[in-house]
Amino acid sequence: CVDSLDDYNIDEKKASSVPAVTLFSSAQKEFTDAIVTPNVNENNFRLYMQQWTTTTYLDEPRYNMTARLIPLNLWSSIYKDVLSDLNEAKKIISEDAILTPAVKTNQLAQVEIMEVMAWSVLVNTFGNVPYSEALDADNSLPKYDDAKTIYDDLLTRLSGALSNIDASAGGFGDGDLFYSGNVAQWKKLGNSLMLKLALVIADSDEAKAKSLVAAAAPNVFTSNADNAAFPYISSPPNYNPVSANLNSLFTSRQDFIPTSVLIDYMNELSDPRRAEFFTTVNGEYKGGEYGFTNTYSAFSHISDKIIDPTLEGIVMDYAEVEFMLAEAVERGFITGDAAMHYEKGVTASITYWGGSAEDASAYLAQPGVAYETAGANYKEKIGMQIWLAYFNRGWDSWLTWRRLDYPQIKAPVVTGLDLKLPVRLIYPHNEPNLNGDNYAVAAQAMGGDLATNKLWWDKF
Amino acid sequence: QDRSVTGKVTAEDGSILPGVNITVKGTTRGTTTNVQGEYTVMASQGSALIFSFIGFESKEVKIGSESVLNVSLKSDVSQLQEVVVTALGQEKKRNELVYAAQQVTAEQMTQARGGNVMNALSGKVAGLDIKASNTMGGSTSTIIRGYKSITGNNQALYVIDGVPISNANNNTSDQQRGRAGTDYGNAASDINPDNIASVNVLKGAAATALYGSRAANGVIMITTKQGRKNSFDVTVNTGVTWGTINKNTFVKYQDQYGAGYDGAITSTGAAQPKAFYTGDLGSGTGDIALFDADASFGAKFDPSRMVYQWDAIDPFSPNFGKMTPWTAAQNGPDKFYETGVNSNQSVTITGGAENSTFKLGYTRNDEKGVLPNSKLGKNLLSFSASYDLTKKLKVSANVNYSQITGLGRYGTGYQGKNPNQQFRQWFQTNVDILEQKEAYFRNEQNVTWNWASPTDAFADNGPIYSENPYYSRYKNYSNDSRDNVFGYTQLNYKLASWVDFTGRFAYNGTNDMQEERIAANSADPSEYSRYNRSFNETNLDLYLNFHKSFASNFNLSGLLGTNMRRSKEVSIRASTNGGLVVPNLFSLSNSASPVEPPTEFYKRIAVDGIYGQASLGYKGLANVEFTARQDKSTTLPTSSNTYFYPSIGGNFVFSELAQLRNNWLTLGKFSINYAEVGNDAPWGSVYDVYDKPTAIGSIPYFSLPNTKNNSNLKSERTKNLEFSLETAFLEDRLGLNFTYYKSRTLDQILPVSVSTATGYGFKYVNSGEVENKGIEIAAYVTPIKTEDFSWTMNVNFSRNRNKVISLYGEGENRVKNVVIASLQASVSLNAAEGEPFGVLKGTNFVYHEGTGEKIVKSNGIYQASASANEIIGNPNPDWIGGISNNLKYKNLALSFLIDIRQGGDLFSLDQWYGEGTGLYPETAGLNELGNDKRSLVADGGGVLWPGVQADGTPNTVRAENYDGNTHSAFGYSSGAPRALYVYDGSYVKLRELALTYALPQAVVNKLQAFKSIDVSLIGRNLFIFHKNMKYSDPEDGLGSGLSNGAGGYQSGAYPAVRSYGFNVKFRF
Repeated sequence: CVDSLDDYNIDEKKASSVPAVTLFSSAQKEFTDAIVTPNVNENNFRLYMQQWTTTTYLDEPRYNMTARLIPLNLWSSIYKDVLSDLNEAKKIISEDAILTPAVKTNQLAQVEIMEVMAWSVLVNTFGNVPYSEALDADNSLPKYDDAKTIYDDLLTRLSGALSNIDASAGGFGDGDLFYSGNVAQWKKLGNSLMLKLALVIADSDEAKAKSLVAAAAPNVFTSNADNAAFPYISSPPNYNPVSANLNSLFTSRQDFIPTSVLIDYMNELSDPRRAEFFTTVNGEYKGGEYGFTNTYSAFSHISDKIIDPTLEGIVMDYAEVEFMLAEAVERGFITGDAAMHYEKGVTASITYWGGSAEDASAYLAQPGVAYETAGANYKEKIGMQIWLAYFNRGWDSWLTWRRLDYPQIKAPVVTGLDLKLPVRLIYPHNEPNLNGDNYAVAAQAMGGDLATNKLWWDKF
Repeated sequence: QDRSVTGKVTAEDGSILPGVNITVKGTTRGTTTNVQGEYTVMASQGSALIFSFIGFESKEVKIGSESVLNVSLKSDVSQLQEVVVTALGQEKKRNELVYAAQQVTAEQMTQARGGNVMNALSGKVAGLDIKASNTMGGSTSTIIRGYKSITGNNQALYVIDGVPISNANNNTSDQQRGRAGTDYGNAASDINPDNIASVNVLKGAAATALYGSRAANGVIMITTKQGRKNSFDVTVNTGVTWGTINKNTFVKYQDQYGAGYDGAITSTGAAQPKAFYTGDLGSGTGDIALFDADASFGAKFDPSRMVYQWDAIDPFSPNFGKMTPWTAAQNGPDKFYETGVNSNQSVTITGGAENSTFKLGYTRNDEKGVLPNSKLGKNLLSFSASYDLTKKLKVSANVNYSQITGLGRYGTGYQGKNPNQQFRQWFQTNVDILEQKEAYFRNEQNVTWNWASPTDAFADNGPIYSENPYYSRYKNYSNDSRDNVFGYTQLNYKLASWVDFTGRFAYNGTNDMQEERIAANSADPSEYSRYNRSFNETNLDLYLNFHKSFASNFNLSGLLGTNMRRSKEVSIRASTNGGLVVPNLFSLSNSASPVEPPTEFYKRIAVDGIYGQASLGYKGLANVEFTARQDKSTTLPTSSNTYFYPSIGGNFVFSELAQLRNNWLTLGKFSINYAEVGNDAPWGSVYDVYDKPTAIGSIPYFSLPNTKNNSNLKSERTKNLEFSLETAFLEDRLGLNFTYYKSRTLDQILPVSVSTATGYGFKYVNSGEVENKGIEIAAYVTPIKTEDFSWTMNVNFSRNRNKVISLYGEGENRVKNVVIASLQASVSLNAAEGEPFGVLKGTNFVYHEGTGEKIVKSNGIYQASASANEIIGNPNPDWIGGISNNLKYKNLALSFLIDIRQGGDLFSLDQWYGEGTGLYPETAGLNELGNDKRSLVADGGGVLWPGVQADGTPNTVRAENYDGNTHSAFGYSSGAPRALYVYDGSYVKLRELALTYALPQAVVNKLQAFKSIDVSLIGRNLFIFHKNMKYSDPEDGLGSGLSNGAGGYQSGAYPAVRSYGFNVKFRF
């Protein structure tokens, strides 16, 4: 009879318990996918930063966030595919009675760093988000927390994780897809992340930013070998999502081309990265008009290197760290030579993409690139070069642009439309349906759920 | 002085009647006839014997001096005495029923010979909402008395001869949610229509309680034909019908502007430089059509303008390298649809000997769909037999086998395999579909109109979005098979004159196989995928059936039994990864990249039930009935896996009252009942498991699933209250049945959608209260009835009001909305507190406070509400109904059925995209000023939407409509509120028409071999009298999918198919 058939309701084809490391691996993969993908349904930041534009369909370069489920897809990726697995990994690790304590501490610290990274994307994209009551299946209506409060907590958590990491003990082994279990690298990644997160609040909470930057700066990335990157492989579904959307192996679509805004600037500077980023058309690098239809065959395309399915997915790299150190010097947060950091940043970017050190120094020798002469102020100098270095990293480019306000991109001018550059994503379209009261409070606290409302740290 | 009287009881046609009750009037003495129809009873001269038997009129015979008394009973056709098959195959007289049930006869089921049993029920039963899909062999939704479950199954249970059968829909969940997929239909469509004796629709919980949980959505009870003792009968049906699309349910195209998005003019009125590409494809530099633009917002047609068109790239085309005039297509996509053919041959042999009966049936059905390269073949076999081993012991068995093979089933939803995606949404009006056909058949290449590059040579070029639709049909086809075995063995043993025992073991096994392909040179990478599923279910029922009369006026009957149900479903779905190595070799081993782990399921369910029923009748005047059932299911947590549910009902047959016995009232019955039905959880909703995506090389990873399970689930419950009044007048010339019901479904087990901030997309909860209440009216009248001519009309009407009373959570945490399906264009189907089930949400119009008119923005487009979550439609119909007429003149019979659905809203993704891309006539032509709508507003063009400006004054601003990106007055590109594309789904259809001529008996007799020959002309879906959706069939929707066939959404809708043909029925 039924009472003796307990196993009937068990899913015999799925695991009921798994090792924590596998959830950590999953979170690394899902986080990288969310940040790297150019899919118009989830990640349009390369468009918002006018690095890429579209050929036929103009909703996304014209900042329409409701024709597709863009905010929902990013939000869900981070909450459901990244944070929830990390949260579960943390539970399993904490309950593991056999694990060596030092390894346990390291694993928890690495989970914490991943979590902070993921939360920072959410909070720096949407502003107020569910945080203290999130990730609890028993609470379907989590309240939204104030973005600044969350952010302060993230900084505290990151400091804590960094002080717990012990590079002499083990971590996640091969299941750590960024560093194959090298815990010392996590220390560098954590500090580099701290540098980045602290600079975000440089305009709003200078003192705090300064002390955090100063503490982190000595332990950040020192070469491209330190980059945190996900090792995509050649076959779906673990291939680089850029290839899924652009490579003719996987799609017949021809949606994206680089913009004239970017290519004209790089042409002006004879940028050696052009050959790595773009194809040529009639021997020239030619970008499409941002926000209007473009004939695919008439313009440069994204290079074979970038649409290669095995191209690694960068989460954080050395070049950006050097640019941020330059900024930190300029802001007086640390002592040092801003120009030197800037040059290292430019060089790191060029050499990462396949250029030589000579290419880099020739490039840097031009007045338009040389730190002394490249711009009116450090925001322009660093802002323009980091925009180029962030060519395939739309979200990070968008974050940095909101801080530095360079490049001074303009929304396309279309008769009958009043387009404005987005400085946040609106909340997912279904939040008012699923979590209406809390959504309403959050939207009101942010001055309305608008893509034009600046986040709390975005002072300029 | 008692003496022995013997005799034989027969029916009018001479066949013997075993089991006839014989009582000596005024005593409790009696007997029944044996299997030979013989009886012996002790009675005195002058007393009377009463012969009674279900389905026959009772007869009272006075005993004279004779010792042998043979009796012939007249079959009883009156409403009152009509035998109805109820739960577990029990036969009851209509006047004993304490609930509403509606019967459909075999003739009604097969008169228009649609092939699909489910579709044949449409319009014939009050309260039954059938929604058929227009795809070949596609799934049909069967909803009785509205949607009860918010996210679960709402489909009625199909029961054949007392045994539930699978009506599984094995389409992918994407297909079921209205996204891309192939519609392979649902299993009840395999039921052989020629094998059906009658269909009884049990609507309320009181009628279905004995079936347990699965009957909560009502039951379609099918009784199959059985052999009769001492008879032999052969019926042969042969028929063919042809099907063509109803063009009133298909797109019409504007014929003035061709390929492009950017329009022909610029905002200043200058010619748009991008209206054509420029290049030399063979005959010198010239204009090249914008091949890669899947829209018709381009250059104005001009026959004098020579342009390189898609065939200029095709080296096999006569137009290769040549320019051709820039004109609208001669042959639109309606020509893509072919004439379907459905041929049906069936033979049924029934018969019986002294103590045995048998039936053998075979049906062969071949269908060629209206899409190219589509066909469906069915072999349906059935055999049943019974044998009376002794006077008390009877054994019977029944086996049905069906084999369905499909080729080229229709793709549905938003995908290239659905040709309507291009035809209705993304197309160029300059593309001639017959030229596409010729291009494909020249060498079977993907000669698309939608080249990725305007300049690349044929060999390097390919489709950017849309295939040549012929290539898609002939190369990217699916095939499938379904083998279904259903049968039972049964033993009846008469323990005593008043009680018999039945033991029945039933088996239903299905094997499904589906293969899908994407060939080389398609828009998507080539792929092969397959799905295999095997399902079986066994039901063991043991029950005692008793009936006893006492105190001469009381009749007690009932049953007591147990049911053990076991089911097992094993399935595996796998597909190639990253393309195929050898082109067009469709096997998993030919995958370019390692195959991802297949999706496997191994689902077992066990339910044990015990049940009982007791009915007490008084003089045929009143009845009360109680049922109770307790189930124990493995799908619930062990601690709460048992649930009990009762029902109680009573009736009062007031026409049996002496003072009402008169000529005009034939039947009058009032019934009332209250019932509860419990239900278990879906399999696998209690314990948590992890997903395992494909490993990254050698590194495996796991992830939490999208749905959080719940180990505290308890059973759900439906409570149902029903009143019904049945009346018949003037010897059944006129009848009126009225039913009111109210049901509430509580503690529903739902995977509710939650904010993903919880870490999950869905979670299982016990929640929700859904109320359905409504009325059903079934009426019939025979206004004329003469020797030669008769006319009978049946009318059904039902109206269901459905309301989501509550969802889940309490106080601050009360959840007020659950998204049932999230659809393209940011439209969703929802269960919202206080609203009808399935309401459509999206951006709405903004109405001016003063005037109540729609506000038009300063650019001439309707203003959309700030919130994307306003209710913009209710997919539930206001009412549904059917009117059927049967006219008979001598040997000629005409019947027709009009099927009506009033209300029920739909969002059309087809219009949303297709108007945005400038396909439909509304998007071009002249505006109210007589100027071209595609001219600049400054030049008098544009489109004036009726409404008011923000200040309440009538709108005078025409919207620009010269390109398909931003300056469009229509569809997605205008950013109009979604509410503008919500349509009323009402229709009035001529569903069935049959004209039958029975060859005169004199002629038939001359042919010797035949008992009768009937020739019919038949038609289905011949005409739509009324609908509000201009370019589609409002009935075509989401099939029987997860969204419960709630409808409310069309994407790539298929046109309705008219079918007409003939059938000849021979009886030997």
